[in-house]
Amino acid sequence: MARIIRVLNLNYRYPDGTVGLKDVSFEVEEGETVVIIGANGTGKSTLFMNLMGVLDGEGYIEVTGLRLNRVNVKAIRKNMGMVFQNPDDQLFCPTVMDDVSFGPLNLGWDKNLVLDASQKALAMVGLEGYGLRASYHLSYGEKKRASIATVLSMNPKILLLDEPTSGLDPRSASKFINVLYALKSQGKTLLIVTHDIFLAQEIADRVLVFSEEKRPVAMGNYKEILNNHDLLLENNLIHQHRHRHNETVHEHEHRHGYTHKHE
Amino acid sequence: MKSNAGQIENLDPRTKIISFLAIIICIIVTPISRLKDFGLYFLLIMAIEIFSKLIFRQVVKRVFMLLPFVFIIAIVIPFVQEGDVCWSMKIGCLRLHVTHEGIWTFLNIVIKASLSLFLLVVASLTTVFSDFLKGLEMFRVPHLLIMLMSFMYRYIYVLLEEARRLMRARSLRYYGSRYVEQFRVVGYMIGVLFIRTYERAERIYNAMAVRGFTGEIMSVKRFRMSPLDFLFIIVIILCLICIVSGFIYRIEYVNKTIDAHLWQEL
Repeated sequence: MARIIRVLNLNYRYPDGTVGLKDVSFEVEEGETVVIIGANGTGKSTLFMNLMGVLDGEGYIEVTGLRLNRVNVKAIRKNMGMVFQNPDDQLFCPTVMDDVSFGPLNLGWDKNLVLDASQKALAMVGLEGYGLRASYHLSYGEKKRASIATVLSMNPKILLLDEPTSGLDPRSASKFINVLYALKSQGKTLLIVTHDIFLAQEIADRVLVFSEEKRPVAMGNYKEILNNHDLLLENNLIHQHRHRHNETVHEHEHRHGYTHKHE
Repeated sequence: MKSNAGQIENLDPRTKIISFLAIIICIIVTPISRLKDFGLYFLLIMAIEIFSKLIFRQVVKRVFMLLPFVFIIAIVIPFVQEGDVCWSMKIGCLRLHVTHEGIWTFLNIVIKASLSLFLLVVASLTTVFSDFLKGLEMFRVPHLLIMLMSFMYRYIYVLLEEARRLMRARSLRYYGSRYVEQFRVVGYMIGVLFIRTYERAERIYNAMAVRGFTGEIMSVKRFRMSPLDFLFIIVIILCLICIVSGFIYRIEYVNKTIDAHLWQEL
């Protein structure tokens, strides 16, 4: 497998001086699913913004063999699509079809091709026939799926998904994970930001853990990381949790986003 | 989308823009002294309304919702315009004169505005907003304007919802403070809403830039003018020519009908 993303010593400071990212380095192989987990405010979304060239931090970023800079940013965005966390930011056009066809039209594709790609993208997320609906009339789960379609229509090699399952009920979330599986089986490279360990357990090949110092502290096989109890506890991804069962009160761990069982 | 769409709804947005704009321009340039003409325009608009299969009451309801704004602007005119005084009154030390010219100007504004509003309501109820924008785009209206309108239409509900949430959060923690205090809170809310909107705009721009936005809005939808569209435009323009040139009054029958019925109604 070939290396598709390479980040070396990436630093980012927000305009007000807050540190956004501190010395981030990692690599992603083609076709791999990497789940980036971390507590709130650890710089996960900031990392995505940097990868897409929306924010420009200091450091070296290479995507599909191209170094990210002003010249290459367009070519890189052709191969890499990002879905924002809030679907109301992602869907800005009057109708769903306008939104889904927005990307490919900007790439200068032929109209027939765009229409075809858009319909395929909508079908892939299970929203056939939603093209003429107004995006603000969709349910939250539908909006989330439509957001993915807006990027899929550009047929990118790499997908960056920011908190894809946040705010979804369990059934919509599992539907959503099916969509992610389908993408994975197509050989797309997926980078997913989340604090839902359940999602990581479901889909990750490798897991990258961000610490509160705004940098990755561990990266590795998903089993290895997700079973590393101390690491998860230290990075605020699981917490000690008091429970009462009738008369007995005891403490145990609680994994975020994970329906836990009592033994 | 309505299933029992009327004829007007299926027309190309360009057709509607051309013909409705033509009607509105004719209404505006007609001098107020030709009151009969306005009756004819009203009949024309009613005909369009009937073709569009809209429910008359709904249309009228919307027109009446908009009319107060016209009245607010027009109501002072009879008092301020100079001319023959036909009626005057005294409130305290304030002396108000109503002039003939003022009343005519007032009528001029109100009649023209209500007719135009009527037509615009029919137009807006029979056109999907995004189609209307595409129509404008094809008439080379600047992209910036179209984008502004498109974003306003898309985000007005999101913003209203955000404002509503703020109001709700305030009212849940509001225990009857003094007026001054309330104004201060309203000020904060306006500020917060502004900042949130600004930041949202930034995020939306990022979402656009990431998908290759370069400043031009494009669309896959294609519009084609059908024979029906041309027919509609021609009929409307012929009607307008008849009214404006006064040709319609030469037709004996129409003249009689107008004199017999319409005049009395007006």
